[in-house]
Amino acid sequence: MSTAMVEVTELRKRYGATRALDGVTFGVEPGRITGFVGPNGAGKSTTMRVILGLDAVDSGTALVGGHRYETLAEPLRAVGALLDAGALQHNRSGRNHLLWLAHSHGLPAARVDEVIDLVGLGPAARRKAGGYSLGMRQRLGIAAAMLGDPPVLLMDEPFNGMDPEGIVWMRGFLRALAAQGRAVLISSHLMSELQDIADHLIVIGRGKVLADTSVEELVATVSGQWVTLRTSASSDASRVLTGAGGEVNPSGVDVLTVTGLAPQRIVALLGEAGVPLSEIAAHRASLEEAYLALTRDAGEFHAAATEGVAR
Amino acid sequence: MSAVETAPSYVSRVPARTGFPQLLHAEWTKFRTVRAWVTTTLVATLVLIGLSWFAANGSHAGFCSGPPPGSCHGEPPLPVGPDGEAVVDTYFFVHQPLTGDGSITARVTALTGRISTEGNAVRAGTNPFTESRPGLAEWAKAGLLLRPSLRTGSQYAAVLATGSHGVRMQSDYVHDTAGLAGAVSATSPRWLRLTRVGDVITGADSADGVHWTTVTTARLHDLPSTVQVGLFVTSPAQPRGFAADGEPTYATGHFDNVAVSAAGASGSAWVGGDLGGGPSYRTFARGSFQQAAGGFTVSGSGDIAPAVRGAGAGGQPAAAGLVGAFAALIVVAVLGALFMTSEYRRGLLRTTFAATPRRGRVLAAKALVLGAVTFVGGVVGAVIATAVSRRVLLANGNALFPMSGLTEARVAIGLGAVVAVTAVLALAVAAITRRSTDAVVAVIVTTVVPYILSMTLSGSVGTWLLRLTPAAGFAVEESLTRYHQVANSYSAVNGYYPLSPLAGFAVLCAWTLLALVVARRLLRRRDA
Amino acid sequence: MRRALHAEWTKLRTVPAPAGLALAVVVLTVGVGALVAATVHAGGGGQQDPVHLGLMGLDAGQAAAAALGVLVMAGEYANGMVRTTLVAIPRRLVVLASKATLLTGIVAVAATVGVLASLLAARLLLPGGGFTAAHGFALVSLGHSTTLRAAVGSVLYLVLIGWLGLGVAAAVRDTAAATGTVLGVLYLFPMLSAAVSDPHWHRHLDQISPMTGGQLITATTDLPSLSLTPWQGLGVLAAWALGALIVGGAVLKLRDA
Repeated sequence: MSTAMVEVTELRKRYGATRALDGVTFGVEPGRITGFVGPNGAGKSTTMRVILGLDAVDSGTALVGGHRYETLAEPLRAVGALLDAGALQHNRSGRNHLLWLAHSHGLPAARVDEVIDLVGLGPAARRKAGGYSLGMRQRLGIAAAMLGDPPVLLMDEPFNGMDPEGIVWMRGFLRALAAQGRAVLISSHLMSELQDIADHLIVIGRGKVLADTSVEELVATVSGQWVTLRTSASSDASRVLTGAGGEVNPSGVDVLTVTGLAPQRIVALLGEAGVPLSEIAAHRASLEEAYLALTRDAGEFHAAATEGVAR
Repeated sequence: MSAVETAPSYVSRVPARTGFPQLLHAEWTKFRTVRAWVTTTLVATLVLIGLSWFAANGSHAGFCSGPPPGSCHGEPPLPVGPDGEAVVDTYFFVHQPLTGDGSITARVTALTGRISTEGNAVRAGTNPFTESRPGLAEWAKAGLLLRPSLRTGSQYAAVLATGSHGVRMQSDYVHDTAGLAGAVSATSPRWLRLTRVGDVITGADSADGVHWTTVTTARLHDLPSTVQVGLFVTSPAQPRGFAADGEPTYATGHFDNVAVSAAGASGSAWVGGDLGGGPSYRTFARGSFQQAAGGFTVSGSGDIAPAVRGAGAGGQPAAAGLVGAFAALIVVAVLGALFMTSEYRRGLLRTTFAATPRRGRVLAAKALVLGAVTFVGGVVGAVIATAVSRRVLLANGNALFPMSGLTEARVAIGLGAVVAVTAVLALAVAAITRRSTDAVVAVIVTTVVPYILSMTLSGSVGTWLLRLTPAAGFAVEESLTRYHQVANSYSAVNGYYPLSPLAGFAVLCAWTLLALVVARRLLRRRDA
Repeated sequence: MRRALHAEWTKLRTVPAPAGLALAVVVLTVGVGALVAATVHAGGGGQQDPVHLGLMGLDAGQAAAAALGVLVMAGEYANGMVRTTLVAIPRRLVVLASKATLLTGIVAVAATVGVLASLLAARLLLPGGGFTAAHGFALVSLGHSTTLRAAVGSVLYLVLIGWLGLGVAAAVRDTAAATGTVLGVLYLFPMLSAAVSDPHWHRHLDQISPMTGGQLITATTDLPSLSLTPWQGLGVLAAWALGALIVGGAVLKLRDA
């Protein structure tokens, strides 16, 4: 865990009777994109604000590079954050918005123009920010996050309001950042936005981390996933796979149903043991289904309705 | 766990520097890049000048002679004393020349007076004595006077009995030293003596003419060999409540045992006459004197003292601009509130605090930037407003109190500072309330309203409002000096404040500081 | 109109700010009025009209009434809710009218409480400062027709100030700027009037000043010396308020939201 750029430990925070954060713990590793996913109201934005020292927690710590955010000498060089792209003053131009941010860290105007080019904001940067589309605001927010060329990027719903072209650009941009060795945390309430880009997932619901895992493993842990395989040596196969921790049930002539082992692993195990295999099919829940299964009871409104929580 | 390739952790390649100067730079950039704010600052300067001009433009003074339309002319300039201060030099003087060293002695046996019941509007043609009641002004004066010249505003020394402040030795208008206490009457007369030795004049008093006490001495510069000595009586206008003008008064003093002793020639005849006078001071009637075997009966109206604005004299302070400053203050209160609430409005504050997690410093930087900008706007406005309103006031026939360049600079800087600190107060209150309406209302209710109340309320309430509320800061406008030896309504209406400029400003600063401390505490405690 | 009214009422009562400002109207009016009544003394120069003195809290209370008027309208521009409102009720003047109606009700209630409490404070406190029958001052009482007129007029005064705020806010559309404008119009006239020395300028400024003119309604003594009669004075404020509402209504109707 010592390699994590952002370490969040046992965060707890209540708003009145509501537990916004209930022991949130995770780390964000460099060089990969970590998806931070959960339904609306799960605590994603609150967690990000806590990491940035904006919201106070009742207990727990959030460290960036081993330090509390408030103690960082040059915060913009440590973390770039896009929290709310609309957090702008409408009668100031986008460039001037970046300029005051740059001046807070003694950065020259040239750096502002660099990040404007980086996000492709171009000539729109000199217009008043009030007239920007949602997509342009996201680009401006990312430009602001990039000002200090930080090793950690926190992005709260960065795909919101972007057109398809913008989304493609954004994905490439974020992947490139991760490839440079930066730690990138992207939150979303839609798994579909993350499944092709995130290397790692943290699933949060009702203020609790429900899963902290790779995409593959997340899918694999969801119950209801199974592999069917057709083999002429079903008893040998059964023995090998059970020995490797799988649960094997015959489901027809020469057909076995295996749960608890990923298909690649089954193929490798049987190959090593020399067990012949004529057909293998993974019956897997999609990532979306896996996510829904995990968060089924964790949605804020859903939970309130079913449990009848008095507020 | 899946294989995480141990990528080398990324290190920012942008050289950055953070500190308070950078924070100030950031907040300054924030301020100057919103055109409406820059415009608003300019508007504050312009309203300061514009309303000062308007007020000056609506202030005419002067006198007309003959039936309307008669020939009219402005107020004559206020007489100026030896040290350049405005003075009143209006009295009845019964005098004779004294050459070389010598002295004059007299006994005052009575001092009585009358107070006009017509206020300042003593109409030509009416008999002031029928439109008056008996009464003696507290600073009515009867005594001995020595002066090298009868020219208005020239230097003098005098020892005198007063209406209710005992015997005094006064010189060159502003100097005043107490002698014997108690009122003058036939049963307790006051002996007075002025002695000249070179340039030094000594005043002495005595209850019995035998035992003399020196009150004090005064040095008159470059005194010629021959000076005028004699008896004088005068009686200043008396303040009414805290109204701007006062009631003219009249006093009569009775002198006996009058003796002039001189090394050189003496024994000339006594000459009496009203000195000074003119329309710039509210007098009751012309003075007079009678010489009889028993002594002299001398009457007069006016004052020989520093000029103050109010009861007796007209004249405007040369540093006008307060009404303009009020307007500017309302504008910058809006500006200060907006500079803060714009951070709250769309969550910009989170960006600000993410860039600079030290929230107290952010507040300080915002306050400094706003304060500096509005200070410059305020000072520039006040300097121009003073110049403009002086021209207009003079052109409209107003007499102006003389003001040193230093005082003028102090008033302009003071008004700029009040405008700036009020803007910061609005900023701090807005940081507390997070709503600009509340902040603007709070600032205006605590600054402008107390001042308005103090204008219409009598006595202590108004005074305390100008001591305790942020409105105390307006004391920086005070450019006139108050004198204990001149009875006057020293109220804000006349340009006199209960606190000194510095103390008043300190009260405003204390309120602002308090608001900033509370704001800082809340900013640090609240989630952004 | 009834539905619009109901909608506006729901909007107002579901956020804390309007109630806070209505409370501020009461507190400022009574607080300042009681402070004046407790400290002023008869014969000390300055204002000597007991009813007017008791109602001097209007000087401060009006700021909260103006702010309430501003907030009711410009508050919606601050967060863009005005678009939601105008989508729900496309007839914009109906929106303005229902806001004005509601504002009238709220301010009238707050003002009535404030004015009655102020007069009660004046009745209890002024005799301590020498405002007694011995000095020729009657006890403040609503039984006197002039005092009743002053009381009713003061409530109207605060309502009109609220309208002024509403109208200016509809025209200016920014809470801070609108508040500054209204308070500037209110407070600068008496300041200007004090700063000019020409009697006729003085008089004319008082005659067009919404605050000085409007507060003539609280005068009960020495009426012939006033620059206008009490009701004419309130009329001056009414003219300002209606003027602001007309301009605000025109801007609301003609400009894009």
